[in-house]
Amino acid sequence: MEANQETSHEHHHSKSDWYDKWYKPLLVIPVIIMILCLAYIGFFYSEHHTIMLRDSSLTGGTTITITGGNIDTVSLGSQLKAQFPDVIIRKLTDIRTGKPVSVMIESSATPEQLKPALEKVLGFSLTDQNSSTEFTGSSLSQSFYAQLMIALVISFILMSFVVFISFRTFVPSMAIIFAAFGDIVIPLAIIDFFGVRISAAGIAAFLMLIGYSVDTDVLLTTRALKRKGGTLNSRIYGAFKTGTLMTTTALVAVLPSFFIVTALPDSFRQIFFILALGLFADIFNTWLTNASIIKWYCTRRRIE
Amino acid sequence: MKLKLSWKIWMLIVFLILSAIIIAPSFQKGVTIKSVEKNSTAYDEGLRTNMIITAINGEKINNFQDYTNIINSIFPNATTDTATASVSSQNLSKLNNSNINKTLQNNTSSSNKNKIKLTITTKDSDYILFDDIPPSITVGDIPSSRIKTGLDLSGGARALVKAENKSLNANEVGDLVAITSNRLNEFGIADVTVKPVSDLSGNNFMQIEVAGATPADLNDLISQQGKFEAKIGNETVFVGGKQDITYVARTGDQSGIYSCSAYQGGEVCNFRFAISLSAEAAQRHSEITGKLGVNATNPQYLDKQLDLYLDDKLVESLYIGKDLKGSTTTQIEISGSGTGKDQKEAYTEAQNSMKKLQTVLITGSLPYKLEIVKIDSISPVLGKEFTTNIIYLGIIVFIGVAIVILIRYRKIKITLGVILTMFSEAIITLAVASLIHWNLDAPSIAGIIAGIGTGVDDQIVIIDEALSSGSDTRSLKEKIKSAFFIIFTAFFLTIAAMIPLFWAGAGMLKGFALTTIIGVSIGVLVTRPAFSDLVKLIIKE
Repeated sequence: MEANQETSHEHHHSKSDWYDKWYKPLLVIPVIIMILCLAYIGFFYSEHHTIMLRDSSLTGGTTITITGGNIDTVSLGSQLKAQFPDVIIRKLTDIRTGKPVSVMIESSATPEQLKPALEKVLGFSLTDQNSSTEFTGSSLSQSFYAQLMIALVISFILMSFVVFISFRTFVPSMAIIFAAFGDIVIPLAIIDFFGVRISAAGIAAFLMLIGYSVDTDVLLTTRALKRKGGTLNSRIYGAFKTGTLMTTTALVAVLPSFFIVTALPDSFRQIFFILALGLFADIFNTWLTNASIIKWYCTRRRIE
Repeated sequence: MKLKLSWKIWMLIVFLILSAIIIAPSFQKGVTIKSVEKNSTAYDEGLRTNMIITAINGEKINNFQDYTNIINSIFPNATTDTATASVSSQNLSKLNNSNINKTLQNNTSSSNKNKIKLTITTKDSDYILFDDIPPSITVGDIPSSRIKTGLDLSGGARALVKAENKSLNANEVGDLVAITSNRLNEFGIADVTVKPVSDLSGNNFMQIEVAGATPADLNDLISQQGKFEAKIGNETVFVGGKQDITYVARTGDQSGIYSCSAYQGGEVCNFRFAISLSAEAAQRHSEITGKLGVNATNPQYLDKQLDLYLDDKLVESLYIGKDLKGSTTTQIEISGSGTGKDQKEAYTEAQNSMKKLQTVLITGSLPYKLEIVKIDSISPVLGKEFTTNIIYLGIIVFIGVAIVILIRYRKIKITLGVILTMFSEAIITLAVASLIHWNLDAPSIAGIIAGIGTGVDDQIVIIDEALSSGSDTRSLKEKIKSAFFIIFTAFFLTIAAMIPLFWAGAGMLKGFALTTIIGVSIGVLVTRPAFSDLVKLIIKE
């Protein structure tokens, strides 16, 4: 081999050799991440008796959002704690200007109990001009939560059906479903770790994730199994180039709602937060897990 | 360059034009009438809902703020809520404060002198009103387009209601919805939608949505069963509703607040209004009063009072004149009072109780005791800020995606194609949403953005398949076909994932699922075929 003729083809070859050697060990990484996440969720469940913390729309109670938010949240919290031990206060700040946008006060109490107490501490009255109030009864919220969980399971099952009908082969289909499962488990573990309280809209985002994140897996599987021409590695690498661009643009669509435009409805931000986590998780799940399984499957079936 | 566009691209263009017509941004100045109270001067003169007011007494009106300013300057005593963007004029008092201390009769004669001429100019003609009070109409800003925004963006209240200790079937909820919407209408709340909703476990609820600023007593109006009973001793003379009550006076001399006075360190204001009883109810009145004697201390009255109960609580006891003994009278005067720390507060209180009582007497009681299981009220101020921010966000997302695509492909034409397709998808989705009168709430808009995100993904698949070269010997047509296999699979996956949301949680998140599904469907059926043809054109060049 002549040293001055190191073409991109050869370069590609060396990458290819590397992948041939390492694809099986690479599979270990996502499996370990997945086991850690599941273990953490299990631990979280044993601590909190729920797989995720929920906000008042799913546990029952009241959320009052005060516009402007020039409020000393620390002293507000300590004054309200006496009467409402479960009160949670969050302050939303505009990242660009550092100006407070709004303050959210959450408790399991009813608005009739919480509002007057809050007004007393604040020293001004809450009208529909300066505040928003959201109340959900506790039995309703329990049933909403249960239903959304059922919806999540149904959604997952329907997704699995579509995958099986589209590809009609067991291992590649299972690989996609496994990746989709990871796309839910990893964000959930991260959310639990940070103690984020999930709203109804947040669970809807998990459903969306099921449909959204598997796009890249479908791309990979189609390119690897159905496209003719090129080596298997070059097809996988081509899919990787397309897929990462897809994920990048999706993240570009999702991330500005945290870093650039922060004063957005909470439900909106939560949907995008969960989608962003899922998209990140999907990079691992598609290009480590799913790609390795597909490569393994194709090698055994002698699909080149 | 001769550019030949395929039918798929033409179809996209047609869709875009139709969408633009459907959304139709409006540049009309003025305010729109949201409701007109019947039996009012405004109604009699011909003002109707949906008319657009452009001027009052020759002064131009551009928006709601102008309207309140002008009305306030003409009727300085009337209480108007000037702070909100689309407040209803139910806060405009029917009788203004200067009339408080006059009796009902005096009120009418004196008010003749105070009548003010009001020339209301609408888009089509002029209406001239002579009145001593502001026109009994509700106005709001003209919507800038046909896109409707939901509660969390426009402000308002939403309540989910069920019967206490009883699960309702679809028919029962239907009845409840009918009575409640009637009640809210009679009370004069504009922009309200009442509809039945059900959830995955088969529970039925009534959902009430009020746009814009919401009256403080909405809570009461919804949850009060409104069981009205007029009793003498323990015998019922008449109850609320059409069966017993044929007419309830709400305007003119027969209804209003007639006196205010100091009371226990505060103020009390008294109201009264006339009602007409049906023949049967009048007959009952005659039989029951026939048995009564004359009051020992107050000989001009009978010895028992007419007790008015609202939801089993005694609200008022009225003396019955002795000449009414045994008479089959159909005319009854209902009275009551409101208290407050000053006259204004007492007046408002009295007025609200009167209005509530009138509403209940007209609509009758609800068949069940109700329980509000969820109530959200969103500040219009916060909503406005959110809307602006969402528009910013949209622009940033477009720019961000454009930059990523440009960096990757380094081709202006392809980048423009992607952005144009994204934009078309957003416009057509919005058009479909306004066509089906869907109120876009925050989750719905998140759904649109997510739908566009999937759209971009699909476009990338098309570009990469089309541009794939080297060992790939397939024709361009085959490549595009292979791209569409991926796109369709992804499409069905999204639909499958979102469908359960249509029912879960009483459809609270239906908007998210709906706009996502609309978005991806339009993508698959209209914009992506057009985009693939566009890519073919660009590559052939």
